[in-house]
Amino acid sequence: MSKKQSNTRRAVMDALLKLASNDPAISVVCADSLKSMRAGEFAEKYPDRLFDVGICEQNAVDFGAGLAASGLKPYVATYAGFLTMRACEQMRTFVAYPKLNVKFIGANGGIYGGEREGVTHQFFEDLGIVRSIPGITVVVPADGREVYQATKALAQIDGPAYLRVGSDREPFIFEDEIDFELGKIRVMRDYGDDVVVFATGSILYRALKAVDMLYEEEGIKAKVVEVHTLKPLDEKNITSILRKTGAAVTVEDHNIIGGLGSAISETSTSNYPVPIVRIGLQDIFPESGEAEQLLDKYNMAITDIKDGVKKAIALK
Amino acid sequence: MDNEAIQIKEIANKLRLDVVRMVHLAGDGHPGPALSIADIVATLYYKVMNIDPKNPDWSERDRLILSKGHACPIIYAALARKGYFSTKILPSLRKLGSILQGHPDMIKTPGIDMTSGSLGNGISIASGMVAASRVTGYDYNVYVITGDGELQEGVVWEAAMSAAHFNLGKLIVFVDNNGFQSGGAIKDINSTIIPVLEKWKAFGWHCQEIDGHNINQILAAIEKAKAETKQPSVIVAKTIKGKGLPFMENDNSWHKRTPTEDELNMAIKVFGGVANE
Repeated sequence: MSKKQSNTRRAVMDALLKLASNDPAISVVCADSLKSMRAGEFAEKYPDRLFDVGICEQNAVDFGAGLAASGLKPYVATYAGFLTMRACEQMRTFVAYPKLNVKFIGANGGIYGGEREGVTHQFFEDLGIVRSIPGITVVVPADGREVYQATKALAQIDGPAYLRVGSDREPFIFEDEIDFELGKIRVMRDYGDDVVVFATGSILYRALKAVDMLYEEEGIKAKVVEVHTLKPLDEKNITSILRKTGAAVTVEDHNIIGGLGSAISETSTSNYPVPIVRIGLQDIFPESGEAEQLLDKYNMAITDIKDGVKKAIALK
Repeated sequence: MDNEAIQIKEIANKLRLDVVRMVHLAGDGHPGPALSIADIVATLYYKVMNIDPKNPDWSERDRLILSKGHACPIIYAALARKGYFSTKILPSLRKLGSILQGHPDMIKTPGIDMTSGSLGNGISIASGMVAASRVTGYDYNVYVITGDGELQEGVVWEAAMSAAHFNLGKLIVFVDNNGFQSGGAIKDINSTIIPVLEKWKAFGWHCQEIDGHNINQILAAIEKAKAETKQPSVIVAKTIKGKGLPFMENDNSWHKRTPTEDELNMAIKVFGGVANE
């Protein structure tokens, strides 16, 4: 795997630096998050377009709404939970409702992203929250290379969006340049039609490992499909895969309520009901710890995914 | 009062009657909080603000955010009489399909610069608008009208800090200091916000206190605020909730209450309007 590409948080800023060089409206709002969001270089190059309002997320989101209402294209960048929980209403009422072109960058997505900080800085409700607000595009890239492409793709749409990133310590999944099509699923493995594993975010690497192992060790023929855009969801292509496999597993570093598992379940129920096993945080609060150990302990181990795949097949 | 002030006062009272009529027809709304800001609203829209009703999205226009969004009928009346849309639309307030929502909606209503209604957020959003002008190069002022009870919201003080830190001199905030909030008198609910002006002084703002029903004082305060280019400005306007109607003044039951036919007729008498307008 290449290590040259910047990791998730830095990749957002790499993309924004590139975008800002061609578009004088690109701007960044921080809530004392300039360092943690790797925005130092942006601040140096474009000091007039970097606004650090201090430790006040509601103000940061409102401020971003004001910038957008007056012609700028702001990216409000801070920790995922402080945005989506503390400033949730500002995101909803003053950005999403008036359809303002504010992009939100939420860091520390998942327990992997928050790891040693503990529950206060581990955010596993953000996707459920933003998904339930009308009109916000929700994107969860899997590594730095995809974050870079996703940031550039989101810049092309005029309206609110939420981009989830992690700790900056995620493993790389994609090699070299990749394409990124907003709102479209990405088929990563296709061993056959026994079952499909939908995954979102950096935990995709575990889904890939689990499915590779199941094929090599037990001959189970599964697909792995990355769902980087949770909203709008690629319902057409997801449904067509569900028709082929007749069972599904969802894998996400998020509470099993509200995120990818819910999104796939909702679309399946409406379009083609199949048994679905949801792998993720089992609606409990985690703790501090090393990132990989945390995923292992809280039901997101590779063995959990393998068991989930077998269970889904058995339910067919 | 000079002629200009008399004219603005006449407009303000016309808008007041519009509000009473609209809320009567809607069967729901907030007349008291709308009447207390009528003189400020009339002064801003009819004398001060650099705006063009034919081009509501004009990039260089002055902007106004009604942070106390529940008082919006007075803004709708001002916009309609200014020519942003027909006065015939005013009776549709709060009705299904109307462009006049229960609280301001910048997408539905021409001339509304920002969606509002959830209290406390106007100053913060206005800060962003002023900050944007430094990047775009457009020269405009951003006005905010906030309630005094609304100052209990924490985000107000988040914005107070950052706006002063960023030296947003083009930001001019009116505090509608009528002493009441939804549930009663401010002094009885959360009195620490009183005295109001001292709080803003402590946060580094350019501060003035005026009679919010005296047009000349409103005009003079705006001139002083505009002359201050570094500090953001706050104008604490002493007002009377329900100003203009003896049965409504300082009676907080009119925070949200529907005027009856008789009460509408009383308003018509007081403000000198016609019954079927």
